[in-house]
Amino acid sequence: MMMHNIMLVEGNRLMLEQLSNIINNTENVKLVARYQDANEALGQGIVFTPSVILLDADHQDSIRVLEEFSRVFPNAAIICTGEKWHAESSSLYVNAGAKCFLVKPFSSDDLTEAIASFSNSTFNTTSKVITFFSPKGKSGKTTLIANLAMAIARRSNSTVGIIDADLQFGDMALFFNLTPKSTIVEAARDTDFLSPVSLNSYYVPLVKNVSVLCGTKEPSLIDRVSIPALESLINMSKNLFQYLLIDVPAGFNPTSIAAAEMSDITYIVSMLNGGYELQHIQRALEIFKCWPDYQKRVKTLLTRVEPCTITAQKQLADAIGYPVEGIIPNAFLEISDAVDDGHMALDLNPNSILSQRINFLAKKIIMNKQDDEDDF
Amino acid sequence: MNESQIDGAIITFFSTSSAVGKTLIGINMASELAREGYSVCLADFDLQFGDVKNYLQLNTDYSITTLCDTMKTNSSHPLTPLLATYTYNNISFQVIPAPQKLEEAYTLEPDSIIDVIKKLRSQYDYIIIDTTSMFSVLNLALLDISTIVTFLGIVDFIPTIKNMKIGNDTLNTLNYDANKIRLVLNRSDAKTRIDLQDVVRILGDNFYHILPNDFESARQSIATGIPLVLSDQKSDLTRALQSLVSKYTNKGYMSTYKDKSSSWISKFFG
Repeated sequence: MMMHNIMLVEGNRLMLEQLSNIINNTENVKLVARYQDANEALGQGIVFTPSVILLDADHQDSIRVLEEFSRVFPNAAIICTGEKWHAESSSLYVNAGAKCFLVKPFSSDDLTEAIASFSNSTFNTTSKVITFFSPKGKSGKTTLIANLAMAIARRSNSTVGIIDADLQFGDMALFFNLTPKSTIVEAARDTDFLSPVSLNSYYVPLVKNVSVLCGTKEPSLIDRVSIPALESLINMSKNLFQYLLIDVPAGFNPTSIAAAEMSDITYIVSMLNGGYELQHIQRALEIFKCWPDYQKRVKTLLTRVEPCTITAQKQLADAIGYPVEGIIPNAFLEISDAVDDGHMALDLNPNSILSQRINFLAKKIIMNKQDDEDDF
Repeated sequence: MNESQIDGAIITFFSTSSAVGKTLIGINMASELAREGYSVCLADFDLQFGDVKNYLQLNTDYSITTLCDTMKTNSSHPLTPLLATYTYNNISFQVIPAPQKLEEAYTLEPDSIIDVIKKLRSQYDYIIIDTTSMFSVLNLALLDISTIVTFLGIVDFIPTIKNMKIGNDTLNTLNYDANKIRLVLNRSDAKTRIDLQDVVRILGDNFYHILPNDFESARQSIATGIPLVLSDQKSDLTRALQSLVSKYTNKGYMSTYKDKSSSWISKFFG
C-alpha cells in the first residue's frame, strides 16, 4: 500500500486539531505539515513534498487560493474541505485543480476512500445523466437499465452508476440479488453531510465499473427522500460516474419530473401489450414538448417488440409521430428465468437479439456523449 | 327509510404492478353488474394514463375534471348528467373518464375527487374504481372510502411477487376489516416457473378468487371495445369474471337471466 504525505491547511484552530487527530489515526497516510494560514503553507510547504493537500475552502477567496496551490504544488492531489458540499461550487473547485471535496469533519474512512478514488481514476467532470420514464409502469425498464449499464461499462470502459429512484416498488436490488446495507433512503437522509466521495460508499458495486444505489425497502419510506435530497444525490453522483442511469416511478410525479429535468436524455419506455401504449407515449410527449430542446433530450424506447425489426421500428415511429430510438424484443422467459435465479439476463447468449439490441443502444449513448464532449 | 340516504358499495381495484388487468376486470365487473340490473358508475382514477375511455371506445369531453369543477362552483348541482354513458345491447352504465389532458391530472386535488365519490355513492348501487399501482395520497383516500378493495395480482416473475407481498403487507398495516381486502389472482395459468402454493405461502393469505389466463379474448375485447361479459362468446374467463361478480352481489350468478329486450329490469335501466 502506498504511503501518502498529507499537508493540512485549516483556518479554524480547533478544527485543525480535530482533523490532525483524524489524519494521525488513518492508515497509510502521514501528516507531514499543518498550517492555519494558507500563505504560510504556500511559502513553506514545498519542503515537506506533500502528495495530498487538504485545503480549507470555507472562505470567499477559496478559488484564487486553490489555483495558487495547484500552481505551487503541481504534483500534489488537492482535496477541498468545507462545511457543506454545493453542486455549484463543486465544478469551480474541480476546474481550479481540486480532486474532490470532503465535508468537515471527515472520518478516516472518508479520507481513505477519497484518496483511493482519485488514485484509481481522475475525478469525473463530464457525466451523461439518463432518466428512464415510463407512462404506466410494467415497461421492462428495470431489465433494460441493468443490461444497458453493463453494456456501456464494457464497451466504453467507463464508470456507470444506477440510481433506483422508483421509490415505492424499485426492483433493482432484487434484479441483482443484492441485500444492500444502505439505500437511497439513507443517502437522502445523510445528504447534508455527504460529498461525492462519501456518497460512493452508499452505492453497491455490482461488477467492475458498475454500481447501484438501491431503492427503498418499503413504500412508506418514500417520504424520506425529498426532491431537494434527490437532486443533490444526482448532482453528487455526476461527479462519481461517467454515466448515470436513473429509474423513476411510472407517470409524471415530482420524482420523475425532477430526474428528467436534470438529465441529458430522458427515455420514454413502454412495453407493447396490445393496448393503448402508443397513445400513452404520445400523451407523455405532449408534456415533454414544453422543453424547447425536447427533440434532443427526449427519446422513445419500446420493449416487447415482435418481430424486432427495422421495419417494425419505422412503423412504430410513424404511428407515434416521433422517432423511436430503440426497440427491444420480447425476452420474458429468458429474463424471468435469469431473474428468478437471482442473476442478470446479460450472461445469456451474447448473439441473441436481446443482447444485440441493448449493445446497439449502448453504442448510441456512448457516441452521443463523445459528440457532446467534442463540442467543447 | 329514505332511499336517497342509502350509500352504494364502492369497489376499488388496486395492485402494486401495472398491467395486471385492473381496467379490464373493472370494466367487466361494471358491465356484469349493469347486466344484472344494478345501477353502476365506473370511475377511472388512473388520472394520467387511464384507459377506461379507450377500452370502451367512449367519445366524450366529460371527465373527472368536469365533476370536480362543478362541485367546487356549485356543490348542489347534480352530477349524474355530467357522466359519460356506455351502452351495449340495452345494457348501460355510467363512466367517469380520466382527464382529457394530462396536465389536468396534475392539478386535481384528491379531496375534491373524494367529494365527488361521496356525493355519487348515494345514487348508485355500485361504484367501481380503477386506480394506479402505487400508494399515492389519492389511492390511500380511495382505499379508505371503499367498501371492498380488490387487490389484483399476477404471478409472472419474482419482482412482481415481491411487490405484491409489499403491497399486501402495506394494506394490512392500514388495519381494515379482514374481509374488506380481497386478494384476486389474474392470469393464473400464464407461463411462469413459479408455483402458486409458494405465492400463497409468501403472501400469507389465500386468494379470494382466481381468474384464468385468456390473453386472446382480453386482447379482442380491448380491440372491439365490447366487455367480455357482454359479448356473445362465453369463455372460461367470462364465466370466472361472472362468478367473481356474484360473490360481490350476494346472490349467486344469474345464469338464466331473461332475454335482455323483455327484461323488466331494462325498462328502468335501459
